[in-house]
Formats: sequence, structure tokens, C-alpha cells
Amino acid sequence: MTPASEPCQFGRDGALIGMYHGVAGHAPVGMLLCPPLGQMLLRTHRVYRQLASGLAARGIGVLRFDYHGTGDSAGDSLALDWQHCLADIRSAAAELRVRSGCATVVGFGAQLGGSLALAAAATAGFARLILWDPVLDGARHVAELDAGQEALRNDPQHYVRPRGVEEAAGQWLGFPVSAQWRAQLAGWRAEPARVPTLILDSRPEPVAGGWSPLAEAGARVLAMPASTDWSDLHRLEHAILAPDLLRMVGAALEPAA
Amino acid sequence: MMAERAFRFGRARHLVGIAGLPPIARGTVGVIVLNTGLMHRVGPFRLHVDLTRRLNALGYPTLRFDLSTMGDSGASAEAGSREEQVRADVRDAAALLTGHAGCTRFVLVGLCRGAQSAHIACSEAGVAGAVFLDGYIYRTFGFKLRHYLPRLLSPARWRGFLARKLRQVVEPEEVTFGSVYPPRAQVRGELADMLARGLRFCFVYSGGIGEQLNHPRQFRECYGRRVADHPALRMDLLDGTDHTYTLLCDRERLFGHVEGWLLEQFPPTG
Repeated sequence: MTPASEPCQFGRDGALIGMYHGVAGHAPVGMLLCPPLGQMLLRTHRVYRQLASGLAARGIGVLRFDYHGTGDSAGDSLALDWQHCLADIRSAAAELRVRSGCATVVGFGAQLGGSLALAAAATAGFARLILWDPVLDGARHVAELDAGQEALRNDPQHYVRPRGVEEAAGQWLGFPVSAQWRAQLAGWRAEPARVPTLILDSRPEPVAGGWSPLAEAGARVLAMPASTDWSDLHRLEHAILAPDLLRMVGAALEPAA
Repeated sequence: MMAERAFRFGRARHLVGIAGLPPIARGTVGVIVLNTGLMHRVGPFRLHVDLTRRLNALGYPTLRFDLSTMGDSGASAEAGSREEQVRADVRDAAALLTGHAGCTRFVLVGLCRGAQSAHIACSEAGVAGAVFLDGYIYRTFGFKLRHYLPRLLSPARWRGFLARKLRQVVEPEEVTFGSVYPPRAQVRGELADMLARGLRFCFVYSGGIGEQLNHPRQFRECYGRRVADHPALRMDLLDGTDHTYTLLCDRERLFGHVEGWLLEQFPPTG
């Protein structure tokens, strides 16, 4: 029987909060679920929980967690920082190794969580990466978030009258954005990791530039049967559903587990 | 050390929540925040996190947690209605805050379906008040006058109306964000009973429920003077905001209201 998941606190002063999905006995493989950011962290909570429970039932120890300044973890939303997120991934990977006893850790992340898992792959010691619609071009993503925020303030389904530019400034879809975070994100350009990488592609439209430069470097790309619209303004409070995620991740991990 | 602690708790150890435990004086109320819709305890745009931390800074112990089967919480394996489950979960949450902060009185906070859960759990011993964010409200004759009269003179509105009528044979009576409201008389009676028992309420409505509420006066039209004018009840309409307070300035307005009401009605003791 799979033990119940346990909330945990780790990192400096116990500032990071996560849920560990343990296995009965020793887990040879562990998987760290790196969450996306902003409202996507909330929208993917359920699918991450389902994935973690499903993998734990297959004997894989799983840790999901929130970065500093996100979710339940300590820190104001405005304190979000790229380097801090990478350090949090290292802490979480270490926590997963201690809790599960696993020798091999696979990094998983959706959207910006995939970008962060990729960026942290070497320092966190990931043996493999599974990235679900990772953001590979930060500047383009910043432009999309800016456009989303502008659409939000003018959206009649949210507001009877358009909201002022000042009222909506310095935010992306419900979250404050510091100048530093904006610059860090805009400067993000993905580089291939030196570990086997699988990209799960559920974007409704093909990404401009494909999955370059990861695909050219040998990353495997698998199309998910159901598409995911990450940017629909009218579904900001709706959970992301991915009925095939567990099956596809489980299949990808079979040789490792 | 971080001032918040993550817990698994409850009668079947099936609930998960985060408690904010500032050092408090005896008698201070604990604040329990319930799930908004199906979203986990963090709340839309981290609203529950920001609110509970601000209340911790004012000296209130808090618990934001996931009700049975929501967020990270599991099922209790008990048979029973959803209402019974919500009441039992809130009892468990209150017991946790009693054990770790010494609270014996509690204020519940909920947005949308969270407000409906709070309404259900107000019958529990120890619950001294509640903050209902976009809680129950029913369309009244006054609502319909204010809603439809300006539209009578607009040809575009008439076209839209006729098109909608063609699409739907039966129009639902209430727009309730996907949940079914109990009859208005039942809610009115329950509110009156709870006020008579000494509970204190803060109703805050957002501008995002304009299809349900279009004037502050509607609250009295809906629940009558006995409830609406009760000195232990406060009602505010935060016009212009959306249902989940997406913009920071709107959240700031909301937090100001909730903090102000709590400090006035349940000041931290000591």
C-alpha cells in the first residue's frame, strides 16, 4: 500500500513547503515536480497531485513544492527571483534524496516550471528531464504576459469598465512583478541540458521556432493527445486537465523505475 | 524560523493546511480560511496566503486548509452529506488551532463557494463570526428594475435578449457560479438565527457579481431589515472589482475591509 502524502518544510528556516509522496520501502528513482509560476502554479495543482500520487503508486518517490514567494512557501510574491528558484530546486532535490533514499532524480516541470527544471538540471543533479510545454524564449513569454495583462484590464467579463493603466501596471495576471523578475525572465534563453530530455507538447498551436534548441540537441518530443491552453484569460481560475500526463510520464520512466 | 507550519490533521488525518501561529494573548480569535471553489488553499492569485499573513501580523492565528477531497486533502471515508463533512472539517480545523494557538473562538472566511461552506459551518460551536466574500445573494424585484429598465430603451440589448431566448428555452433563475443556492427564505432564516445567537458577519460583495447584485440596497431587499440592519452585520459592495480580486489594488481594498472589520469586532486581546 502506498503511504499517504505528507506535507513537509525544508530549506533555510523551513521556508519551503512541499508535499512528499512516499513509497513503501526504498525508492530507486525519485521525481521532483517543479511547478510553473503565477496562476499556472494554482491551475496545475490538481494535475501535479494526480501525477505525484500515480507515480508513487508505481514505486517512484515524488516531491512537489512551492518556490520562495510562491504558493504556500515563505516570501512575498514580489520577491520572486530566478536564481532563488534555482536554489530552491537544488534544496528540493536534496530533500527528495534524503526522504526517498533514491539515487536517481528525474526533474519534471510544466511551462515555466519546465524552464526552471532545465536551468537547474546540472546543479540539482537531475539524471533526466521531462518538460511539459516548457518556455524556451523568455522575451517572447514576457511579451505574451504583457499582452495578457493588457487584455485583462480591458476585459468586459472581468470589469464593467476598462481599468486604468496605472491600476494594472507592474502585474501579470494577478501577481505583482518586480523589475528584476521581469528582466530575469526576459533574459531567459533555453540551452540544452546534458541529460536525456523529453518534451511533452500540448500547445494548441505550433511554437514559433519549434522546440529549438532542445530538439536539435537530441531532446525527444512527444505530442500529447489533448492540447492545453495556458493563456486563456477566461480560464484563470480553472484547473488544467491532462488526462494523458500520468500515462505518458509513467511510460517514459519505465526503464528508469 | 518561518512563522507558518504545514499540518496533516483531522479525524482521519486526511486534511492538509498551513497554520500561521503568531504569539497571541488568551482569547484572541483564530481565523479559518476555506477553499475558494475547487482551488486549493492558496486561493486565487495567492489571496488566502496574503490575507492570512497580514492577519498574522495583526496578531491573529490563522489556518488556511483544504476541505475533504479538495486540494491536498483526502476523504475521511465517512458516510454523510457534503454539509456534514464541511462542519466536521471545520471542527477539525478549529481543534488544530485550539491545540497550537489556544484559540476557543473562530472566524470563518470564504469566497464564493467558500462563503457557502462558511455559512454551513457557522452552526458549529466556537464559531463567533464569518466573512462572506460574494456569499449568498438573490435577485430581487429591485435588482430586476435596475437591471432591465435601462435595457428597455436599447435596441442592441433587445437583439441580444431575443438571441439568448432563442438559444435557451428555460433560463435558470439564478446565476450562481455553478452552484445551487438554497431557497432565499432558508438562508434569511438561518442568518437571523445565527445573528440572534450572537454571531457577527461581514459580507463583502465584489463588482464581479453584477449579474446577481447591482446595488447595496439589494441586500436589505433580499434579507429584510431584521438581518440587513442588525448591528452585528456589515455589508460592503466593492464596486468595480472582479470576482476574484485579480488586480493588486482591488485586493488591497478587500484586505483593508476585512482587517478593519476584524479589528473592530474581534480585536486581538492583550
